[in-house]
Amino acid sequence: MKRLTRYPSYNVMNEQHEWDEHTRKILNSRLQTSGNHSFLTVVEAEMLRSWCSLLVDDHRPEIIQFVLDHIDQSLSSGEESQRKPGIPPAQVLVRKGLEALEKACQSIHTELFFHLEEEQQKQLMEEVSQGEAVPLEVWRHVPQQVFFQKLLTMSIEAYYSHPEVWSEIGFGGPAYPRGYARMEQLDPWEAKEEQRKA
Amino acid sequence: MKRKYEGETVDVVIVGAGAAGGVLAKELSEAGMRVVVLEAGPWRDPQHDFASDELAMQQLGWQDTRIVDGADPLQMGHNNCGKGVGGGTVHFTGVFLRFHETDFNAKSLDGVGEDWPIGYADLAPYYDKVEKEIAVSGPKHYPWGSFHGPYPYPERDPISLNAQLFAKGCEKLGIRWVVSPLAILSAPFEDRPPCINRGFCTQGCMPNAKFSTLIVHIPKAIQAGAEVLPDCMVTQVNMGKDGRATGVTFVHNGTAYEQRAKLVIISAYAVETPRLLLNSANAQFPNGLANRSGWVGKAFMTHSSNDVYARFDHDVRLYKGTPVLATTQDFYHLSGEVARGYTLHAHGVRPLSFAKGISKSDGNRPVWGSKLHEAMLDYNAYARITMVGEVLPSPDNTVTLCDEKDLNGMPRAKVTFSYGDNDKLLIDHAVSTMKGILQAAGGKPEFVVPDTAHLMGGCRMGSDPDSSVVNSYGQTHDIPNLFVCDASIFVTSGAGNPTNTVMALASRTADYIKKRASRMEL
Repeated sequence: MKRLTRYPSYNVMNEQHEWDEHTRKILNSRLQTSGNHSFLTVVEAEMLRSWCSLLVDDHRPEIIQFVLDHIDQSLSSGEESQRKPGIPPAQVLVRKGLEALEKACQSIHTELFFHLEEEQQKQLMEEVSQGEAVPLEVWRHVPQQVFFQKLLTMSIEAYYSHPEVWSEIGFGGPAYPRGYARMEQLDPWEAKEEQRKA
Repeated sequence: MKRKYEGETVDVVIVGAGAAGGVLAKELSEAGMRVVVLEAGPWRDPQHDFASDELAMQQLGWQDTRIVDGADPLQMGHNNCGKGVGGGTVHFTGVFLRFHETDFNAKSLDGVGEDWPIGYADLAPYYDKVEKEIAVSGPKHYPWGSFHGPYPYPERDPISLNAQLFAKGCEKLGIRWVVSPLAILSAPFEDRPPCINRGFCTQGCMPNAKFSTLIVHIPKAIQAGAEVLPDCMVTQVNMGKDGRATGVTFVHNGTAYEQRAKLVIISAYAVETPRLLLNSANAQFPNGLANRSGWVGKAFMTHSSNDVYARFDHDVRLYKGTPVLATTQDFYHLSGEVARGYTLHAHGVRPLSFAKGISKSDGNRPVWGSKLHEAMLDYNAYARITMVGEVLPSPDNTVTLCDEKDLNGMPRAKVTFSYGDNDKLLIDHAVSTMKGILQAAGGKPEFVVPDTAHLMGGCRMGSDPDSSVVNSYGQTHDIPNLFVCDASIFVTSGAGNPTNTVMALASRTADYIKKRASRMEL
């Protein structure tokens, strides 16, 4: 059975009146996603919606929409800190990767990725993560593992920056200007454990 | 752009406003020199531009693309390069250690690496000065190295649960530990408050409890008359026919400008410093400036910085408090099969870094989907230790220019890095020690995350102009009025966090420049 949060009634956003304005604005904007993408096409976004949901094991639409918005924004900015020689810039890498994914799905299943059964999707993702996806012809110009890693990194960045996810893992969140006063005990606003699997 | 010294020749132009550039700007402008500091990144205001958020604050890192190569290509950006006034000091953990005497003579002592042209004693007075200037907090007695305390300010109290577990594990195993020396205030100092344990040191300190040159040295430099220009990327060191530097060319909002200066100091860190020297090649210096030896960009180093996460049957809450609050240097100088050594820190972490880290814990098999999700549900139950491991210099680890260019038309830096055999043995040794400490504290080690931190070398100092780029004061052997002063002049990496040493070296260089300039010798 799928594990659940140990802090079901905790909501880190309940404390936002204690935060500085800049942080509060940033976190509120994550709860209001736009879905207006400047880099991703509609089909690309739909493929990523399925792909990223499985990467982070969560299908809640508003959270995955924030993941997609973040990916779109990152790709639009063109910033990527580093890449290996011979690896295309992130924009090209993701676009070509999604193209290959679509072709591979059509060739094997005659379906789009987001129409596949979840098990089929996971199987294909596992193969890409190991650089073993076929047909070879389709994936020839895409470094599969780099493609997989790029999407995983961007998805993690967004997913584990979403306040709802913070609440579930019991992260106490922003603490300025008040700070954390108690080191050994919990501060009154921190998540308290309500259930825990033995 | 409004400029104070447009069309003028100033005494000093400093490229980069980080740990070294900040110290130099303050020292030299307070000595009455006319100083201009050019910083590639923005000028941020901690209370309004920083946020308690990992994702938003990734922008503190240098995000322009570098090409990374070698057997162990580096992850660049937030964990090792700053961009903006204050540079890396804006988002470092504040760990403030001195190098040990043994760091300056690896070759003589252990037959590996190289010897520095200076010893601990040359830096000691500058360590004293820097630590006092920013009120470093630390223990009354520090058991390792040549400096045994007391630190200017008392050690931090209380410490996080993660640090307490580290202490417990160490004590069970007979390993000595201390509350870490930190450039983070334990009591008020000047106009700054003590730390409130917000925990976001690497996202930029909002209360100003953590030192950075953004809030300490740069304001003092400006007070003394220095001009600091943000968002100005230096693309070229300009040279005169007489073989002396005449200033620099920089780009601001797409337009190129020149700043003429009697003295040019490059403090742009271990990637951008060699990149700039190499890109400034001209007919007289076809292989790049200060590169007669061919050592510009060579012997580039990082620290191994692997993390071990262990799960406990109670909450630890890695997000609370200053990330690093407990340290051991019992393994600083190993003997036997592994040469040199490492420092260990109890090291807190927020969710994004935690998730990114453990996703990479299984080599070429990324951790994702339900496995990642389940581990993250127990984020609060994990403790973590991080190593700072010495990486030996190798001429094969380099910073070079590649064909691809950035938006300013400047070739991108290519950073090539591979671990050597000793580096790998050292990591294994440290990982095993970290697991042991966490187990002794009652935890079950679950994830080992390969990581690196801190960049050093690439313009190493030395007495021999044929095998080094600068002398011990950062003065290039080839061009008397061109200095390099940052971690790129390190000869070896040491086994502890380098910022204190970078700043002590900068302070020493500043003294040298002041003395020589007053005698008109530069």
